[in-house]
Amino acid sequence: MTIQRLCVTALVTALACFGAWPVLALEELKIGAIGPLSGGGTAWGLAINRGTQMAVDEVNAAGGLKVGDKTYKIQLVMVDDAYTATGGRTAADRLIKLEKIRFIIGPIGSPSVLGALSATDPSKTLVLSNGFAMNILKNESRAAYNFRTIDTTNEFAPAMIEWMHRKHPQVKKVGMLGTNDATGQAVLPMLTEIYKATGIDVWTDSFDRGSQEFVPLITRLMAQGVDLIDLNSNSPSDAGLIIKQARQAGYKGLIWQVGGPAVPEIMEIAGPLAEGFMSLEMFDFSSPIGEKFAEKYHAQWPGVINAQVPLWYNTTKILFEALRRAGSTDVEKVRDAVKATEGYDAGVIGPVVWGGQAKYGVNHQLLVPVWIAEVKGGKEIILEKITPEKR
Amino acid sequence: MFNAATIWQVVVNGASLSAIYVLVALGFTLLFGIMRVVNFAHGAFAMLGGYALYYFWGRFGVPYVIAVPLAAAFVALVALIAEGLVFRWFYQRMFESMIALLGLNLALVYSAVMIWDVSERSIPPAFSGLIEVGGLLLPKDRLMVICIAVVVLVSFWVFMTRTRQGLAMRATAQDLEIAETQGINTSVTYRIAFLIAIFMTALAGALYAQIYSLSPFMGDRPLMVAFVVVILGGMGSIPGAALGGVILGFTESFLATFYGASVSSFVSFGVVIALLIVRPWGLLGTPDGARA
Repeated sequence: MTIQRLCVTALVTALACFGAWPVLALEELKIGAIGPLSGGGTAWGLAINRGTQMAVDEVNAAGGLKVGDKTYKIQLVMVDDAYTATGGRTAADRLIKLEKIRFIIGPIGSPSVLGALSATDPSKTLVLSNGFAMNILKNESRAAYNFRTIDTTNEFAPAMIEWMHRKHPQVKKVGMLGTNDATGQAVLPMLTEIYKATGIDVWTDSFDRGSQEFVPLITRLMAQGVDLIDLNSNSPSDAGLIIKQARQAGYKGLIWQVGGPAVPEIMEIAGPLAEGFMSLEMFDFSSPIGEKFAEKYHAQWPGVINAQVPLWYNTTKILFEALRRAGSTDVEKVRDAVKATEGYDAGVIGPVVWGGQAKYGVNHQLLVPVWIAEVKGGKEIILEKITPEKR
Repeated sequence: MFNAATIWQVVVNGASLSAIYVLVALGFTLLFGIMRVVNFAHGAFAMLGGYALYYFWGRFGVPYVIAVPLAAAFVALVALIAEGLVFRWFYQRMFESMIALLGLNLALVYSAVMIWDVSERSIPPAFSGLIEVGGLLLPKDRLMVICIAVVVLVSFWVFMTRTRQGLAMRATAQDLEIAETQGINTSVTYRIAFLIAIFMTALAGALYAQIYSLSPFMGDRPLMVAFVVVILGGMGSIPGAALGGVILGFTESFLATFYGASVSSFVSFGVVIALLIVRPWGLLGTPDGARA
């Protein structure tokens, strides 16, 4: 080897070492995420995965997350729960025992959240999830280590149903088809109570999760003389198929979803038959902030963007902010710091507002604004913004 | 609620459900009847049929009447690779085939996840809208499935009963060794039966995906339906699959409409369990093992 080549090699090696130095210096902090990456709730699982990943990428690109005197490189470990209770429990066990993770984003859906909590609560693992069942927050441990970071039916339904009553006074009877699991059993009674309080009669029936043929049930529903179908908290797949099959069966009334939400995914499944469908929407992508967020998302992923992506991004940012403020990865300190994030603004949803004391006995419910959207001319348009009342 | 209009609608819904169930079950029962393999990869081949139609019809714009058989034929031909690598080793080995084909199913499903990701898609409808006859509503796409199911069933029946190859298949199914001594090339017969079974499965999957939705996991339901229908009708029996599909379709339509989905599931599966107790070989199967 000539002297010249030796010098060049030494220089390149030195540069490589210096270039890699900041990365090597960072300690790794694993964050877990749980969500359905298979089955009917896949769109929501992808939202958790991608929303969380965006926040992780952002903090890593900025040099890592500073917690006390350490700076961490965040690594996301995502596990599929197949949108089931056993899946939620298994995923949580894997993250806690195998990956030694103490902070989990997700899951979504009451069965999976309740399944996951049975593992995270005893092991004092912090969970920021979204399931609509009351006992996710209202339980014996008073939600000691878990927060709900997306509004539930309790938060958004009263205002939405009041809106429906005001805008469509001809609606006298609503029909709801829900799953015969924890989600359906939690949501249908809540909605029934609110509809009845508004003066709208209610008819409900349930189906097995994973069903794809709804025509007989829709025939049954149509025979009840309903003039509104509420798809409540059905998964995008179920909701899309119910719309498609209801329209094909000749149902001409209104269809909306006080729950979900997954308007683009539903449009993908129901196609042109989704025209006129109204839904809860968790984010306004037509706003300047929304457009910017969607642009950033599409730089990584093509196709439709689920409205929950910004919410999971927001959730992850709240966790990062709590870690920063706690100055430690001690779970209890971070949990207390999460409670103290009131007013923190991650830049997409608005300032953090924690509520839920009156309904659940703990202020572990993040209150976020929601929108009512409608499919018009094959596009989703925003009709109205609703801000849940702090209670 | 028990008025004439609703009852007729229940009949129409039952017919369309039956057509879907019969189509889904045919390929499954054929493979069992001839080769004695329990095709746990049935749902995966149905899913591949869905993706093939998505590309041929939805993306490449091939005319629908060509795209549907083309998609099914494409999947059947590609499946010959799986036949050489996996299926062939498990002919006449029912229990071993279950495990092997379960593995194949997982491999195909997760390959699909890697290729197309987990998102659900829809295949553009070829026929949309309704035909209204005296207040009775007939969705055009369901009507099309009924027609295709009838054509497939009749064609298959003609093939099995009126052609030499069909006769060879029946002979092979009844006694492999005697069939070989009569000069039947059973290897070729098996390959043809495999092609036809996968063709029908992929065809059913393509229509299923178009009516419902398309994703790598869409095959789970057709597999379960095929199992129930085939057990009800008799493992390996083609007329049994037709009868099982019709019974399940009409039962589900009637019970779900008048008594709800939970009652429908409870009674449908209850009937299957009861039947397995009193007649384990199914309605049209035979006690010594069903035959096509």
